[in-house]
Amino acid sequence: MIIGTDLTRYYGLGAVQVRALDGVSLKIQRGEFVGVMGPSGSGKSTLLHMLGLLDRPTSGSLLIDGVDVGALDERARTVFRLRRLGYVFQDYALVPELTAKENVYLPSMARGMTPQECTLVCTDILGVVGLGDRIHHLPSQLSGGEQQRVAIARALVNRPALLLADEPCANLDTRNSKVILDLFRKLNHDLHQTIVMVSHEEWHKQYFDRIISMKDGVIETDLPGTREGDSGGDPSG
Amino acid sequence: MFEDAKVAFFLAKRSIVRGNKGTLSLTILIIGMVFVNLIFLPSIISGVAVLFNQQTIDYSYGNLVIEPKENQVYINSADELQKKIERIPGVTRVSPRYIAGATIVYKGNEVTPLLYAINPDDDRRVLKIASKVASGEYLGDGDTGQILIGYRLAGNYDERLDVIPSLGGVVVGKVVEVTFNNGVTREYRVKGIINSDSYDVDSNAFITRDEYESVYGLEDKANQMLVRTLETGNENEMRTTLMSFGVQEKIWTWQEKSANFLNQIIGSFNIINFIGTVVSLVIAIVVIFIVIFINTVYRRKQIGILKAIGIDRSIIIRSYLFQALFIFALGTLIGGGFLVLILQLLAANPIVFPGGPVAPVVDAMLILRSTLSLLVVSLIAGYVPAWITTREDILSAIRG
Repeated sequence: MIIGTDLTRYYGLGAVQVRALDGVSLKIQRGEFVGVMGPSGSGKSTLLHMLGLLDRPTSGSLLIDGVDVGALDERARTVFRLRRLGYVFQDYALVPELTAKENVYLPSMARGMTPQECTLVCTDILGVVGLGDRIHHLPSQLSGGEQQRVAIARALVNRPALLLADEPCANLDTRNSKVILDLFRKLNHDLHQTIVMVSHEEWHKQYFDRIISMKDGVIETDLPGTREGDSGGDPSG
Repeated sequence: MFEDAKVAFFLAKRSIVRGNKGTLSLTILIIGMVFVNLIFLPSIISGVAVLFNQQTIDYSYGNLVIEPKENQVYINSADELQKKIERIPGVTRVSPRYIAGATIVYKGNEVTPLLYAINPDDDRRVLKIASKVASGEYLGDGDTGQILIGYRLAGNYDERLDVIPSLGGVVVGKVVEVTFNNGVTREYRVKGIINSDSYDVDSNAFITRDEYESVYGLEDKANQMLVRTLETGNENEMRTTLMSFGVQEKIWTWQEKSANFLNQIIGSFNIINFIGTVVSLVIAIVVIFIVIFINTVYRRKQIGILKAIGIDRSIIIRSYLFQALFIFALGTLIGGGFLVLILQLLAANPIVFPGGPVAPVVDAMLILRSTLSLLVVSLIAGYVPAWITTREDILSAIRG
């Protein structure tokens, strides 16, 4: 699914050069729910940006779904993001003038689906994330947890090969965080959705199949998760 | 391509419907006013040109002007030539006349206007001066010892009210002294005062052709013949027709005779108009640019997100172009509405220029030119800020 080889990302020049990624190699299989953890500045978000094609490595190669994404031009990368990747941001990142349904509608519309198809998949996916009765609400009329679920629905609407989540629970309280993590686990379990999620919360570990811990731009450990079945984790540990 | 346009339109529509209505309304209103400004001033200038053109025909030259052959002072056998021309199809009437300088004195006020010597009956069928007698009467054929004075030349008792050197407020019935270029001096009773709104007519004086010929000892001559034709606009064809009928004198169209004067006026107006148009378009481009730019900068993060989820940059730019197009379209419509109201108001209360009331002339080409220029600046003002903001890389935009 994902094969990253010796990925580096350096910022700045000369003496003040920052090595955000310093030779990371990893493989992620289809259907895995991978947590990327580590302290601030460890390189976990940089890695996620690489996998999400939001940034280019300084060196190294990256294959996603068999495509050497490093060789793609900007337009091809945009199309790749649209068709094969789903991205969930820390702060929901919804378009404020669009309703929940329209926010989800947008990527499928950009993909060229007919209005009927868009409506069908949007309603379906919003039902999956538990917002079937909130589809006509604007983001400002939704709670943080609901907005994040809309963002997840938007990320999933084009049936991406890979779902990337950058600290999706950072702005949520524990109860809403659990809802989101349960949803991720359900998607991973029911749809075999490959998920790579960045987190720094210890209690999130119990949701992951595998945990990649990073420090100073390199992978420190790459271990199986502490997943405890599909009954839901306990924030208290 | 079409799918991309649909997504761009979708984003633009939602942004317009659910965005800030106050800013949008104000922007549309400004564009509407710019549209009014783009059309209003040129329409007034066109109106002035139409007025001056009509005045030139009605009060100064008719449609065609016949002048003596090269190196001759007079048109000889004027009556015969007059009859000959009047028989040509398309000609309604011909007015032979003399034009000379003269000195007129009244109560110590001395002026040197042009003195026109006319056949009153012929002249009233070629020009419209006879219908503009403000007081007294128009000249009659065979009148001697009588003179018509333009109201500017007649002037006012209080000379501060005069715009040209005048006779100090001479009125009908008073006697003025006229000294001709040949040194002959005669007294004339003022038979009428003319107020035609034509600067040329209102600043000069008229006597009969018979009187003039008796002063100069001339007979059956003229140094100008004005020709009125059935239609206005085909002067060049009529000149060719007159020549084909054997008229050997010089023939000018009214446009040629008045070209310098009119071109100067219209040229000056066009400079003002050009400046006004440029300022209007700059206002339009700046307003739309600022609105779209602030909009895109404010949504910088959102634009980054859209790009991150796979919305192509060109779609985002196009969505702002659609918004600019909407502002342009609604602004133009509202401006058009304002313009109709203004034109109706001016139809009821015309602007009075020195030459008379001016009706604005709005032609299709003017509307098309203004609309297209506003469209182009709107598209530029929508495209550039969207292009600048969307150029930023995704991560920088998302991080804000």
